[in-house]
Amino acid sequence: MLEEIKSLRKAPEEEYYVPGHRTCAGCGPALQYRLVAKAAGPNTIFLGPTGCMYVANTSYGCGPWAVPWIHTQITNGGAVASGIEAAYKAIIRKKKTDAEFPNIIVMAGDGGSSDIGLQALSAAFYRGHNILFIAYDNESYANTGIQTSPTTPYGAWTTFSPAGPVIPEGKKLMPKDLPKMMAHGHPELKYLATASLSYPLDLMNKVRKGLNAEGPAFLYIHAPCPKGWSFPADKTIEMGKLAVETGMFQLYELHEGQYKLTYQPKEIKPVEEYIKLQGRFSHLQPEHIQKLQQFANGRLKEVGIEVSVPAQ
Amino acid sequence: MGVVKRISGCVATATAVKLADVDVICSYPIRPYTGIMSELARMVADGELDAEFVYGEGEHGQLSVVYGASASGARTFTGSSGVGVTYAMEVYSPISGERLPVQMAIADRTLDPPGDFGSEHTDALCCRDQGWIQGWAATPQEALDMTLMYYRIGEDPRVLLPQYACQDGYFVSHILGEVDIPEAAKVKEFLPPYKNHHVLDVRTPQIIGAQMEPKMGPGMQYQRYQAIEGSRKVIEEVHDEFGRLFGRKYNPWVEEFMTDDAEVALFIQGGHAETAKTVVRRLRNLGEKVGLVRLRTFRPFPTQQVRDALSKFKVVGTVDNSVNFGISGAAGVLLTEARTAMYGMGDKIPTVGFVAGLGGEMITHDEFYKMFMKLKEIAKAGKADKENYWLPFEL
Amino acid sequence: MSISPNEVPFAGTVPSPKTENEGMITGSWRTRRPILDTDKCTECLICWISCPDSSIKSTTAGMEFNLKYCKGCGICNEVCPVGAISLVPELDFED
Repeated sequence: MLEEIKSLRKAPEEEYYVPGHRTCAGCGPALQYRLVAKAAGPNTIFLGPTGCMYVANTSYGCGPWAVPWIHTQITNGGAVASGIEAAYKAIIRKKKTDAEFPNIIVMAGDGGSSDIGLQALSAAFYRGHNILFIAYDNESYANTGIQTSPTTPYGAWTTFSPAGPVIPEGKKLMPKDLPKMMAHGHPELKYLATASLSYPLDLMNKVRKGLNAEGPAFLYIHAPCPKGWSFPADKTIEMGKLAVETGMFQLYELHEGQYKLTYQPKEIKPVEEYIKLQGRFSHLQPEHIQKLQQFANGRLKEVGIEVSVPAQ
Repeated sequence: MGVVKRISGCVATATAVKLADVDVICSYPIRPYTGIMSELARMVADGELDAEFVYGEGEHGQLSVVYGASASGARTFTGSSGVGVTYAMEVYSPISGERLPVQMAIADRTLDPPGDFGSEHTDALCCRDQGWIQGWAATPQEALDMTLMYYRIGEDPRVLLPQYACQDGYFVSHILGEVDIPEAAKVKEFLPPYKNHHVLDVRTPQIIGAQMEPKMGPGMQYQRYQAIEGSRKVIEEVHDEFGRLFGRKYNPWVEEFMTDDAEVALFIQGGHAETAKTVVRRLRNLGEKVGLVRLRTFRPFPTQQVRDALSKFKVVGTVDNSVNFGISGAAGVLLTEARTAMYGMGDKIPTVGFVAGLGGEMITHDEFYKMFMKLKEIAKAGKADKENYWLPFEL
Repeated sequence: MSISPNEVPFAGTVPSPKTENEGMITGSWRTRRPILDTDKCTECLICWISCPDSSIKSTTAGMEFNLKYCKGCGICNEVCPVGAISLVPELDFED
């Protein structure tokens, strides 16, 4: 059992995601990785489906994890994790090892979870493997140079959704809601939560709850990306906070069939305050911003947060 | 002594998997290999085999599950057929690249089209160059023996490579044959527990499969090249030991059938060789100097052994049970591999390619007879008028 | 120039680092260096928990920056509630 971390002072000093990686300065996904590793501790195996957190961390035949790590294809994080879990179950039962059953954590990007990796993810949860699957959402295929993924917001510029005279808003589609897909229809699911790197204690405790659950746990972590979203490297934490404060991202958990909001902003700010700081939205016209406001309001309503910024 | 039973290729393979005390099995249904998995599922349900039986979400998932399980120190088994084999294509190279000795049974099936259930070697041959040990069993007995030997070969610390244990769909997988099932204790002696030093264990943390820089690429590929080339010695040792322990002595590379003084011969792999043998026997009774060479191990390809076996004939005909559209020689992989093996021998031995049994059609006695007659004709003329014949349309 | 197969790690597998990954030292990326005003610092640990590069440590002597790896992103300066961290151009330093 991993204990609840009551304050920053009580957070483990030890790092298992150590310094020395090629992620960009101010990288959100790197920060959340560090928090996850810190919360999970030494009895952990990480799986790295192809994505930023594989490429930028392991370049040149090395990597920054003090615990075991294995690469998986971008397609199959859930399936490889299932295999690791099944193997440990079998070889412990058959007394072929004296190792303890480890924490098995998949660290998949939004593409490796909501898009090409969805089949393997869903199958692992259907089968009930005792794993923690983390989707760190930086809202694009960033490692390949920022292409739209299913979780890229409406209106965001990416190299596959550029804004132009014919398509003035850039990305035309609304994003897929992966946590909702995972929450409904996987009867073996034991724990599900969303988290943000801007709320580190909440994030680390959700990691621990997910690992303590005897069965599949899903954690969806919002991880701002200075390069892909085009904002200064020192604004990563602020961007994560603004996403929550404007209703573009919500923090909740689903445990034993009950949804619970884990953080509720005192006052909801207009989405414009969030998007005006990001170059990827700089081309948006007022009517596009209204659509994003409608999107945020819809998501807020869904989780039971009062909508205070009207959308036209 | 073992027990002799009449069982299918599928049941023979499943029996070997049980004897190998496999820890993790990952299934997905596709005909005809499904029979192996149903039998294993029964064994697990009945308590005959203690293994995790994971329902794969597809073949890509199956190969991914055994990749993770093998990397955690478990002995693993999976399998597929036809389009299932090609669906998993992405995962074959990472498995051999991480040097994980998983075993996959392939009971051949055609790709689509024609989309029927029939056998064709095209599926397994599509993934032939991924750093896996590969060969075809021609009988249920051989399927059982191959499964055990392949685990031993693949898990040898000098090899550490995955294996495709192939058998023709239906012709081997679903037809009963007499199988001598070895005693579990003896198998235990032959097949020690799987040990791999680069496993996922928090007590010895390692980073497996980090991205490399280009200057490390050639060396990484060279390691796999050395592994599969080095496996030749291990393959021979393991076949020798298997013969000593179980009394079934196989030539690991090629089986020669009535090749003494033969003038023309067919070069073939898989279960259709059994049909061809009856034709060879009949023709021999009629005084014809014909023979047959059956390839047993396809990867690594036994270049020298094939050269030695085929060099004594006047004409060689290859029988390809696969489609390889646009290939050099316009027949199939066996023709190009045989020609490559024979190239540079000095003596010019005409080689001709027969493409037969596609879509799961039987290669009939009559068709093999026609092939031998064509070879005789070429031997007499000293050269072929055409380098390939698609049966039944062109012969 | 290609590295010999004997020197390339077997199957691409390398031991995990213990406290730092010296295969990727990133301190040279930095254009601005974080400087701490120890008088202002309350050791609230917010900078420590916010560093993507695990490059801030709480020691008995107070908060310390690991300049071997610090990329100079400036998050610490941004999140510090008391303004104890400033960013100084690297060119102002001799080392």
